[in-house]
Amino acid sequence: MRALAPVVDETLSRDGVVIHYEVYGSGDTTFLLIPPAPITHSRIWKAQIPHLARRHRVVTFDARGNGGSGRPTGLADHTRAENVADVAAVLDATGTSRAVLVAHCHANWWAIDFADSQPERVEALIAIDPGVPYLGTPQPHWVQTAATFDDRLEDPVGWELFNRHVIIEEHRRWVEFFFDAQLVEPHSTKQYDDAVGWALESSGSVLVAGEEGIELDLPGREEFVAMCERLDLPVLVIHGSEDVCQSPEKGRELAEITGGDFVLIEGAGHLTMAREPVRVNREIDGFIDGKRRVEARARTWTRGLQRPARALYISSPIGLGHARRDVAVAKELKKLRPEIEIDWLAQDPVTRVLKAEGETIHPASEWLVSESAHFVSMTNEHNLHAFQAIREMDEILVANFMIFQEVVEDGNYDLVVSDEAWEVDHFWHENPELKRGSHVWFTDFVGYLPMPSGGDREAFVAADYNAEMIEHIARFPRIRDRALFVGNPDDIIPETFGPGLPKIRDWTEEHFDFPGYITGFIPPAPDEIDGIRDELGFRDGEKVIVVTVGGSGVGRALLETIIAAYPLVKDLVPEARMIVVAGPRIDPGSLPEYPGLQIEGYVERLYRHLSVCDLAVVQGGLTTCMELAAARRPFLYFPLEDHFEQNYHVRHRLDRYGAGRYMDYAASDPDSIADAMATEVGRQVDYVPVETDGAARAAAQIAELL
Amino acid sequence: MRAREPDHHGFVDSDGLDIGYEVFGSGDPTVLLLPTWTIMHARFWKMQVPYLSRGNRVVTYDGPGNGRTVRSSDPERFSTDAEVANAVAVLDAVGADRAVVVGYSDGGKFGARMAQLHPGRVSALILIAPNLGLDDPLPERDPIRERFFEPYPENPEGWEKFNAAYWRDHYDDFARFFMGKVFSEPFSTKQWDDGVGWALETTGAILEAEMRRPADPDPFEVASAVSCPVLLIHGTDDRIIPHQGSVRAAEVMGASLLTMAGSGHGAHLRDPIPVNLALREFIDGVTP
Repeated sequence: MRALAPVVDETLSRDGVVIHYEVYGSGDTTFLLIPPAPITHSRIWKAQIPHLARRHRVVTFDARGNGGSGRPTGLADHTRAENVADVAAVLDATGTSRAVLVAHCHANWWAIDFADSQPERVEALIAIDPGVPYLGTPQPHWVQTAATFDDRLEDPVGWELFNRHVIIEEHRRWVEFFFDAQLVEPHSTKQYDDAVGWALESSGSVLVAGEEGIELDLPGREEFVAMCERLDLPVLVIHGSEDVCQSPEKGRELAEITGGDFVLIEGAGHLTMAREPVRVNREIDGFIDGKRRVEARARTWTRGLQRPARALYISSPIGLGHARRDVAVAKELKKLRPEIEIDWLAQDPVTRVLKAEGETIHPASEWLVSESAHFVSMTNEHNLHAFQAIREMDEILVANFMIFQEVVEDGNYDLVVSDEAWEVDHFWHENPELKRGSHVWFTDFVGYLPMPSGGDREAFVAADYNAEMIEHIARFPRIRDRALFVGNPDDIIPETFGPGLPKIRDWTEEHFDFPGYITGFIPPAPDEIDGIRDELGFRDGEKVIVVTVGGSGVGRALLETIIAAYPLVKDLVPEARMIVVAGPRIDPGSLPEYPGLQIEGYVERLYRHLSVCDLAVVQGGLTTCMELAAARRPFLYFPLEDHFEQNYHVRHRLDRYGAGRYMDYAASDPDSIADAMATEVGRQVDYVPVETDGAARAAAQIAELL
Repeated sequence: MRAREPDHHGFVDSDGLDIGYEVFGSGDPTVLLLPTWTIMHARFWKMQVPYLSRGNRVVTYDGPGNGRTVRSSDPERFSTDAEVANAVAVLDAVGADRAVVVGYSDGGKFGARMAQLHPGRVSALILIAPNLGLDDPLPERDPIRERFFEPYPENPEGWEKFNAAYWRDHYDDFARFFMGKVFSEPFSTKQWDDGVGWALETTGAILEAEMRRPADPDPFEVASAVSCPVLLIHGTDDRIIPHQGSVRAAEVMGASLLTMAGSGHGAHLRDPIPVNLALREFIDGVTP
């Protein structure tokens, strides 16, 4: 899912070439983001758009040759003049009289040319890894390969792949080589996959036409330098020190000639806005705000000793389980430190729980992009490839981190508690100078594990993610002041982080504290059960089976299969009564009906049903399964297919408690499900007891930081 | 030891009075730190000078009656316009066409008047807890101040010590009382010691002469006439000039306002870090 949808998504046509453009957000200032094409398209700005669009109007377009724009192959369609005319056409089509231009690589050339010809329409120029002619020194590999570009090479390798025939005939090979060379930063697999994917939306012939079309109306050196010198506008140049496409000296010289600011990102390659999105976004903010500092505004600074103790709590919105355990921890923390003020930066569905509990939700919460909606969008029937869903969430994590960071910088928080708030932990390690307050990190699993369906590539990528996390913690132990594993060392799966990497358990025991499991509720005592069953309308002698798939809207396929097993289980166990809870996102009326089968929409305090039922049938989410384990109920659980956490981490933990019966969704049919239900319903269980003091123990460890 | 010694110091003749000034560092724009009520002298900028002078030329000087400047007991010397004339003389002496002008308390009044009378010399104005005359009366003080020249009660308490005769008899006691009001934050002993020390470098008689100065210009007229960018900084626990005076000034001047929650009347001394950062940000922001 995109972090932000455009408000305008249109095309224009110029001399028969279609140009696709988009507009996001609104504001007095318009940013025009210009991608270099045909090698890439407007999605290269995905980490900037949601952030900039919160305060400004953002226009972007696919430059000719890629994305939603045309793919002309004539050289005359790719001249400087045509590319610059596209910039003007997009500004015209969007009714933009004046804009801040942000351009990457050779798109800066078009931006500078446009600013020179229509200076009144350009407020400022932000040049990222600029690829402009003549300035600096060209990378030697470009010079060398230019000489053999048209030759048919025997066995081209390395930069020799920059060759007309290779690019046209083996487009993917060139593209993969090129972006592998550009992404010099370790752990750049996501940026690599993105960049290669976008490049492959175009073709080798278009790419070659783009390379050669530029040559048709190349300005002379003096002409180009004079153009730069004439630029009478604020300029910011951002350049990666290890850029092997455009040497950083180009950027430095451009800044010198234009009198602009130069920001060198040490260690970064050619795709700084994708690989260092937080730094780049903040540099853009600082540059734009800097021009406006004289505007009158009112702010308050509060003396240190006058500040109340404050915590910002970020609870992962993926599933409702985090909300309940985090509320339990917060309540215990307030018992220890009654004076503490806790704000929650949270999104639906967590906010529903928080509102019901009377917790304070930070107003910036409404700006957050929904991670829950992203996960739903990645789910298909009973399948959720959770690792890939997290990976595809990269632009949402950047967008939400930028909001989080503003909140912590404004809020004087002493403490940040992040319960699987990946964006906080990841980007604070990536940008350690941004850390504010003490940081408590919560998680209930450690280590991404590849699924067999992901093949070798996923095995490599998951290990790479784990390796990056291990390096983060080794290099910056100060970012996590406390790391709390929700559970016990025995709950950790006996796997490694990947080839050549540590064992997950060893590493986790070294780097985490273990407050035990945190249920967020106290299961009924044995002598309370009959009373609750009575209250809920369970009749004597009935064997009540509760079926639930959580609140996410994922799970209709599972519900339908289980409903099909209802008449079968009724034959085997005549005293069975089945209650199916569809949840808030599935219309109960849309499910098949049987006489005697009870279908409910939303059930308030569902955990009470679960804690006294004779059998529960659920998905493989940790929270619900552990509630059932704590309540000592028999249950069947169906992990979502390809969900590494449910299939590996959760299953291992449940095995440790001896709790629940694992069901393979793909291998199950109504008959086998009915058999399993008949065997399990009402069974006396011998689970390892689940501790009930986890929240208090976690809170005690957090309180030490206050 | 001072954290930063002046690079150079001197005296400039302002209408026959020698005004002592000091210059620190280099760099545009020049930042002129104005004097305030005579009970303090230019050392009250000690938390700002070392920091600001790393990027700018910083100029401080003393008004008539304290610090390096000659003690004058001529009330005319203390008129707002005479104070402005001193500031202009110092700018001339250091060869500064214009400056970012920073005023504290009474210095706020001088700075605003300077921006009105000499707009070409003031590129921007920063006013810390300024006494612009826009605040509401202070009930515990102002009725007593009406009786400033009358005899004081037998055992004066609090603001009853704001009295010409008491100053002549017990100026040191007044200074101790007054600095307690200025530094109202807990744990302010160092600032209080400094303030009392600076106060005791002049006399009650000089302060009394200042009280006989010609009337100040109309505060609303002055504030309305300021056209340069203005930053106001004011503590919410200011027991000399209430914070609300700067709220009003921000409206009249269209100025930025940094509210210092919990700070008293000497925020630049008691909470120097946020004040310094705000000065730096504002000075850099108004620099072309």
